[in-house]
Amino acid sequence: MSETTEPDARTAAAATDSDRAVLRTDGVTKRFGGLTAVDDVDVEVQKGEIVGLIGPNGAGKSTLFNCITGTLSADEGRVYLQGQDVTDWPEYKIARAGLGRMFQETRIFGDMTVRKNLLLAAQEGGANVGSLLRRPDDTLIERTEELLDYVDLGGLAETRAGRLSFGQQKLIEFAMELMAEPDLLLMDEPAGGINPSMLENLIEYIRTANEDEEATIFLIEHNMDFVMEIADRIYVLAHGERIAEGTPEEIQNDQRVLDAYLGRE
Amino acid sequence: MSTSESEDSTGLLRTVLPPNQVDRVFDFCGENGWKLLALGAVVGALPPLLGLEQGYYMTVVSEMYLFAILALSWDLVGGQTGYPSFGNMAFFGIGAYATAILVKDFAVAFPVALIAAGLLAVAFAALIGAAVLRLRGHYFAIATLGVLLAAQQISRNLDITGGASGKILLQVPSGTVFYYLFFGVLVAEMALIYYLSNTRFGFILNAIRDDEEKATAMGFNTTYYKTAAWMLAALFTGVAGGTYSLFNTFIDPQTAYNGAWNVELIAMALLGGSGTVAGPVIGAFGLHTLIEFVETAFVGWQLVLLGGAVIVTVIGFPEGVVGTLREYASEMAYYERGGMAAVDSGEDTEVTADE
Repeated sequence: MSETTEPDARTAAAATDSDRAVLRTDGVTKRFGGLTAVDDVDVEVQKGEIVGLIGPNGAGKSTLFNCITGTLSADEGRVYLQGQDVTDWPEYKIARAGLGRMFQETRIFGDMTVRKNLLLAAQEGGANVGSLLRRPDDTLIERTEELLDYVDLGGLAETRAGRLSFGQQKLIEFAMELMAEPDLLLMDEPAGGINPSMLENLIEYIRTANEDEEATIFLIEHNMDFVMEIADRIYVLAHGERIAEGTPEEIQNDQRVLDAYLGRE
Repeated sequence: MSTSESEDSTGLLRTVLPPNQVDRVFDFCGENGWKLLALGAVVGALPPLLGLEQGYYMTVVSEMYLFAILALSWDLVGGQTGYPSFGNMAFFGIGAYATAILVKDFAVAFPVALIAAGLLAVAFAALIGAAVLRLRGHYFAIATLGVLLAAQQISRNLDITGGASGKILLQVPSGTVFYYLFFGVLVAEMALIYYLSNTRFGFILNAIRDDEEKATAMGFNTTYYKTAAWMLAALFTGVAGGTYSLFNTFIDPQTAYNGAWNVELIAMALLGGSGTVAGPVIGAFGLHTLIEFVETAFVGWQLVLLGGAVIVTVIGFPEGVVGTLREYASEMAYYERGGMAAVDSGEDTEVTADE
């Protein structure tokens, strides 16, 4: 609250962890009728971290994501992005403020070429009229070439994105996020539905983006091996509540988590 | 999906017209778009200078340009942005009536009246767009049809529009003026949309068509872009309507807000290939010529033909002429340009690196 009332005090308090957080939710609650899908959840993601979010089906993971991105509006609690209260902002404005999102079902623009998908993702120029009405410049086009080569899809720039395989589309969606360079990237089940060798590639790409480009990532994942390998910290949700938080080792040995989730398998 | 089928049926086509030849034509058109447009502008401007007299043929060609404007405007929202409107003729009617009233009752000069008509259509689009562009798919289509019918009814009830009997305009410029007016507007619109389709604005419209939720999640305020496209379509449709009222020397609720025309221009855009610049224009030229021919040869059958054309297009060539050709041209591109190969080599290197 002090952040919104005293903007000057914020710089003084910048040393504390919670103010440096790229993302912070404070008691976010979302109800659908009688069901509390997300119940008073606090999470925090620091710059440069890869944070995992796990939990059984129906635990409220995607709903929490939707509350963060503004797709749904939280009934209670606040969401802070880079210390700024974005709770009541419209979805597009939160995205523009530096939040990227990859969807569970992989969403790209199928009737547009791969290159146009990537050019669209670039945030340079934003929404000002001048840059909207100009053709994309050469540096942006070069960047699309680089990124496509990087994810081994060079040569497909002029192909309709809808013709690519699911795994390739996933890589394109990831490349689009690299193009956009968001402050925080939310990934909903990045490992879902792709073959093991491509998963190896994806882990590599995510690691590299995190280490070289300082990408901060918050991801939902059901693939335990994947999330334990890649995440610095993990939050566990069950029945909408946050039941645990810690390093992958701590989570693997947490009795509540084993009961609620891992123990079931 | 139907590769085996199409291989049988297009075997002959493949020998006569190999896909890579078509692909080369598309590449050529893509690289020389502006030159082709300029060439078209010169060719289109020639007939009256080379002796095309006022009369039936000039009228037919002028109407052809008119429909191309209407189809291209529809396609900006219907094809590029994915919002199929059944109410575009409302902009046309507003433009037509505004021009007729200003010229006849207020003695405003025709060009000034035309500009006013365009602006009025844009203002109307901004107002209506805020309401109907929240809807999607069939809800949007039905709502826009409602707008068209309501506008028609309003013009029937008002005194200023001449009620059901409409307005007769006797002092009008010559047919050549209209020829160049329609043609000029068409060329300007083609140039503008062609330019926009290669800008970020154009990309965003296509993105809204493909997946509006994803576009929002990427930070685009889609309402803003949809409304802008809708207003631009209204501008050209309104100006076309204003020109038409004097061209036709008569305007009444039935001709100004012509529902059958609204279907016709959609058919033209779909037939030619929606979501492209050339498609709707080609569709308008082709279908209008056909309709004109049927109208003279088999009087009264043009609507039957129109219905048939729509059905055949939607079933056989949902992408239209341009879209179907483009798909045909690029069918091997995915593999030629290393579609699966890229993945395979990627996997190989990855596996060897790991082991």
